[in-house]
Order: sequence, then C-alpha cells, then structure tokens
Amino acid sequence: MNKALRNPLVFTLFILPALILFVMFFIYPIFSSVYYSLTSWNGVSETVKYTGLSNYMKAFGDERFWISVKNNGWFILFSVCVQVPLIVFFSLLIANVKKLKGLYKTAVFMPSIMSTAVIGILWGFIYEPNIGLFNKLLEVVGIDPVYWLSDERFAMLSILITNAWQWTGFYIVMVLAAILSIPGELDEAAAIDGATGFQRATRITLPLIVPIISVVIMLSIAGAMKAADIVIVMTKGGPAGSTEVMATYMIKYAITNFKYGYGNAIAVLIFMFTLAVTVLYQLLIARRNERIEY
Amino acid sequence: MKKSLTLLLSLIFVTSAVMTGCGGNNTTNSKGEGNTNGAAESTNAAATEEPASSEPFEMTIRHTQVGADKQKRLAILEDVVKKVESEVPGLTFKLDGVDSDVNRKEKLRGEMAAGNPPEIFDLFGSPDSKIYAKESKLLDLTPILDELGIRDKFSNLDPFTYEGKIYGLPIGGSGEGFFYNKEYYTGKGWKAPATFAELEQQLADIKADGKVPLAGASKAGWVPLMLANHLWSRYAGPDVTAKFATGEAKWTDPNVVKGFAKYKEWEDKGYFKKGELGFEYAEYTTQFTSGEAILMYDGTWKSSVFKAGQSGEGLIGKVGFFNIPPVEGGVGDQTALMRDVNNGYGFSATAAEDPRQLEAVKSFIKNLFNEEMQLRGLVEDGVLPAMKMDQNVLNENITDDLMSEIVAVLNDSGSSFPAFDSLVQADVTTEISNIQIQKLIGGQTTPEKMAEVLQKVQDEANAAVE
Repeated sequence: MNKALRNPLVFTLFILPALILFVMFFIYPIFSSVYYSLTSWNGVSETVKYTGLSNYMKAFGDERFWISVKNNGWFILFSVCVQVPLIVFFSLLIANVKKLKGLYKTAVFMPSIMSTAVIGILWGFIYEPNIGLFNKLLEVVGIDPVYWLSDERFAMLSILITNAWQWTGFYIVMVLAAILSIPGELDEAAAIDGATGFQRATRITLPLIVPIISVVIMLSIAGAMKAADIVIVMTKGGPAGSTEVMATYMIKYAITNFKYGYGNAIAVLIFMFTLAVTVLYQLLIARRNERIEY
Repeated sequence: MKKSLTLLLSLIFVTSAVMTGCGGNNTTNSKGEGNTNGAAESTNAAATEEPASSEPFEMTIRHTQVGADKQKRLAILEDVVKKVESEVPGLTFKLDGVDSDVNRKEKLRGEMAAGNPPEIFDLFGSPDSKIYAKESKLLDLTPILDELGIRDKFSNLDPFTYEGKIYGLPIGGSGEGFFYNKEYYTGKGWKAPATFAELEQQLADIKADGKVPLAGASKAGWVPLMLANHLWSRYAGPDVTAKFATGEAKWTDPNVVKGFAKYKEWEDKGYFKKGELGFEYAEYTTQFTSGEAILMYDGTWKSSVFKAGQSGEGLIGKVGFFNIPPVEGGVGDQTALMRDVNNGYGFSATAAEDPRQLEAVKSFIKNLFNEEMQLRGLVEDGVLPAMKMDQNVLNENITDDLMSEIVAVLNDSGSSFPAFDSLVQADVTTEISNIQIQKLIGGQTTPEKMAEVLQKVQDEANAAVE
C-alpha cells in the first residue's frame, strides 16, 4: 500500500475527490468573487459590464467603509486585549477547582451553543434602558440610565461585550483542555519546591499553554474580521452607522441595493484584510511558539 | 501485481464515483423530462378534449404572513390556496413563509440571481419589480388580467408596471397617519387636531402631563421616516419627492429642510420616546398599546392590532386616526395623504413555460384578487383594498369605528403621494434610512447638513442613471 501511494497516479486519484470539493467550494467562489468585483453586475442581470477597479476605488474613498474597517479593528482589539486574558484567567480558575468542574465547564460553554438571535434578544433585555439589568444596577448607585444600544458612545462597546460573552466559553474549553493535558508532575514538583499557586500558574502553566493561546488569538482575529450576525441582531449597524462592520456594510450598501459587483469587491477586501492580519500574526508571533516539548 | 491491483481498484473507485454522480444527474433529468412530457401530454390531452391531467405537481408560494399579527392575512391566503388546489387538478401548493425584509432583500434576490425563484412570491413594486421585469424574471400578467377582465379594477398598478406591461399585483393599500388614544383625548376634552398649531399644542400638553406624546422606535430608519416623509411633503408639496430623482427638485429646497427642522424640533422637545434609536418596530406598537405613548404615526395596516385576540385588544374602540393637519405656508395640497400600493404578489416567468402552472397562476389571481377577498382583507385585517370598490359596499361592510375613521380620512384627503423609498434610488434610501435620519434623531447633524448630504448622494445616483 505504501508503495502504491508513492505512485503519483494513485496518489492523484485518491486526492481527486477532496480536490474537486475544495475547488468547487473554495477556489471557484474566490475567483468568481474577484471576477464580479471588477464589474457593475446587479445580481440579476445576465449581462455583466466590466468596470475595472472602480468598485475598489469607491470602497477606499467611502468614509463609511473605513468606519466599518475601524469597527472590525475594535473587535480584534477587544478580543485580544480583553477577551483572551479573561479566557486564560477563567481557564486557570476552572482548572484548579476541586468540585463541580463539569458544571463550570458546561456553564461557560453554554452561550457558544446558543443562536446569535437568542443572544441578541437576551442581551437586548439586559441593555433595555428602563427595565434592563445594567441600568437597574446603575440606578442603585444613583447613576442616570445609559442608552446602551442607542447611544453612539456605548453601542459598539455593548456589542463587543455581548460578542465576548458568546464566545469566551468556547475558547475557555479549548484552553482548559490544554491546561489539563499538562503532566501533573510538573505542578506537583513545583508545589513541593514551595511555589505558590500564582507562581505555578504564571511560571509553569501559562508558558506551557502559549501555543493554544496563540490559536485562540488567531481564531478570535478571524472571527472578528467576519463578524456580522451579532451586529445585525443588536443594532442593525446603527445608530447612524456607528456600529457597522465590513460584512454588514457589504450587505447594506451593496447587496440590498442591487450592487452585487460592489458587494463582491467588499467581500474580496474582507478576505484580503483577514488574510493579511492572520498571516502577519502567524509570521510575527505565532511561529515563535508553536511547539512545546515536555 | 499488487501495485497494478491497487491502481485498478483506485480506478474502479473513482470511475464508480463519477458514474454515480452522472447517474444521479441523469435520473433527475429524466424525471424532469418526464414532468415536461407529462405537461406536454396534458396539453395534448386537453386539445383532444380529454380531462386535464391530474398528475401531481407542486408549486411554491413564498409569502410573508408570519407572526401573530399576520394570522388573518395568512388565513385568507390559505383559503385561496384551497380554492386553487381544488380548481387545478394535481396541484399542491407548498407555502413558504419568510420574514418580509429577509424575503425582499436577501432570499428573493438570491433566487432571482440563481434563476430559481418560487413560482408565486411576495413582491415589492418599486423598484424591485421593475429590476426583475427588465431582466425577464417576472411573468407578464397583462394578458391574464385582460382574460379575467380585472385589468382596470385596480386603483393603481404603476409600481408594478414596466414598459406598459404589468408584472405584479398589489394585495392591499395603506395610508399613513396618526393613531391616537381616544380615551386620553376624551379625558382631556380634546378632539383630533384640525390645525397644525393645535397638534403641536396637544404634543406639548401631553409632554407636560408626564406622558410620551409620540411613540418612537428608530432602530430601523424607515419607522421615523414615515413621519419625516409626511412632514417634508407638507412643507414642500406632495409631489416634491418624485422630483428628486429627475433633478427637478432638490433635498436642499428650504421647504424640505423645514420638514427636517420640524422633526428635529419635536425631537429636541422630547416628544418621542427616549432611547428610540435602540428600539425595534414591535416596541413602537407596544409603547402605544400600553398607554405609555398617546400618539403613534403609522400605516393603516396597524389597525389590525386593535382587534379581538390581537396585541392591542385592550384598546378596541379607544383608538382614533387622523391625517397630519395643514402646515402654515405649506406648498400644494395640505390634505394629501401618504398612500402606498407597493406590496403584493409576483410570478416567476418560468410559469409561462408550463400550461398547468399558468393555469394555477390564473386561478390564484382570480381567487385572491376579487371583491370578496379584498373586503375580507379590509374587515378582518384592516388592509385597505388595492382594487376599486363601491363605496356603498365598503360602508356596509365596515362595522369597526377605527376603520370607519380611516376610510373617512382617506375620503377627506384631496390627493395622495407614495413613500419616498418607491421614488428615489436605493442609494438615497440607504443614506437617509441608515444614516441621516438617525443622525438627526441623535443630534449629530442639522437639517441643513442632512439635506446637503442627501443631495450629494442624490446627484451621484441621478448621474449613474444617466
């Protein structure tokens, strides 16, 4: 069998089905998007007019597009700077509890299996200006109600918090698996040598789970770049376009306006930006700490 | 030997996989051909006076009657479906209910692009039907309407007409105005305002009374734009919006700006529910039905809420309706009412290729677009008829006070004008709905700046058409 797999023809035949699927569902759509992004296709017409790079120029010259890019940037920053430290913190806490570990794991994982629509409604109640939980708490300490979703200053933050709540549990379970796979002897040896819990967490556990944290950061970046559903459910990109992200910009300014050519140009830009950010991250940070040897 | 055997096995595996795929494809085709032949046979059979083929076939109706408030509309559609199924042998309808916005802006567009829309679907007249008609995606209904003798029975088919042919039919009409809490008004000894000054005084008094004068839910821009549209049309004339796309009028017209300014003034005075930019349309109704807001500017379709079993049941007999009173110095007819007949049904052009589908379409039109169904829509659901109706018949059938008031307002209005989104280009609609009106509400722009931005987008859109 090993010999047979060295035969290029057999090898090709075996990878052919997967290759066909890959081309059909990944390569072809990308090329198709690039092609349509160079046209003024309205999404319905059979005639397609070539317009060169005008769609890209239009996007680069549109202030609204850059607002949406900036908001994607907020998603990335919030994920990396706030969400990831919380993920690591809670993972370390859960890994060290003696009782009901399963319950904690299930509880934190729960939001990630809920639909975004449900989460939107749930958090809509929490952010409700009159009866919402947050404003009730503010009322207790004598602070005026905050219009979380209708005030430009708070709308983006509200979405970021909700999005983090939805996905933190998913990543905690990933990090937790990495922590629990660390040989127990390392921790025990350190404890015998007199290391405190904090020292063991920061000097032993944390360095050993760096590769999985790196994966979590990369997945968060990719997720942040394609975020759309949570924005649609919570604010529809408003108020006044202040929470628009690239994907919702694409839907609102292109697809719903019968501008599929422009929509495809935005889709290509999202792909390129995501690729650029993830490649940069891989090259500059992730590659340096890919493997841990015990 | 072993190597050859592996190679042979691999070849057999791949070949069989390919053959299976092709086999499946052929089966579908032959089934399809079978159907086509069936249809052709049925046509021949009809020609030789044999009864029409009753071989089963299925058609899909994409409707938007989803949710508790649209149950009565769904019941009307279901009754029509039953009638059509009994008239067309072998026909089974599959009802596909989808949210209106999702159907209009995503699902139907995707299906049109892929060339596989449902046979019958919920359709918006302008600009949607014109774009689809231009690409030959819609069935030309003109000969069917002529055959059924109902072509001139509709009050307005303009939104569905493209190059003289009719491509869709409006299911009902609507007018927009103020719903008001009659109980509150009676308690204060007030009546529906006859002048604009009186309306403004009432708004101020309601505010002073600690109540919310106007319901507000502006998460979706079209909701506040209903009132804003009516205000700028009062100040600048009912026909002003239609002139934006042709360049005959500009958004920067001082009278249009006056309309924006009046809206802003009401915002600044706190007449709308606070935090409105975070509220969905559903909450708009709740603010009114709960008694929190005393007035609600909305379409006449909302009257269906104030019926038994609906969310506004508690306000039956306690809700009135009035048109915006004339504004001082306003241009044109000051009784003009914003009215639309922009939503209805369209049919896939592919139905013309299958005589049985065409027969089903004719039967569907015959059974849905008639006096009985239009009256049911009006009486049971508060949807204004899209077809011309005898006033006596209307009067006999309207027993509900609110509907009587609505009909009186319609009769008192000297003219009507459609909502802005059926008159201006999609880019302009996006700009005003998603950005400008919300900025005006949020205090991030001025009426003048808003008008300038809109005119810039309008100029670009007009230039693109040229």
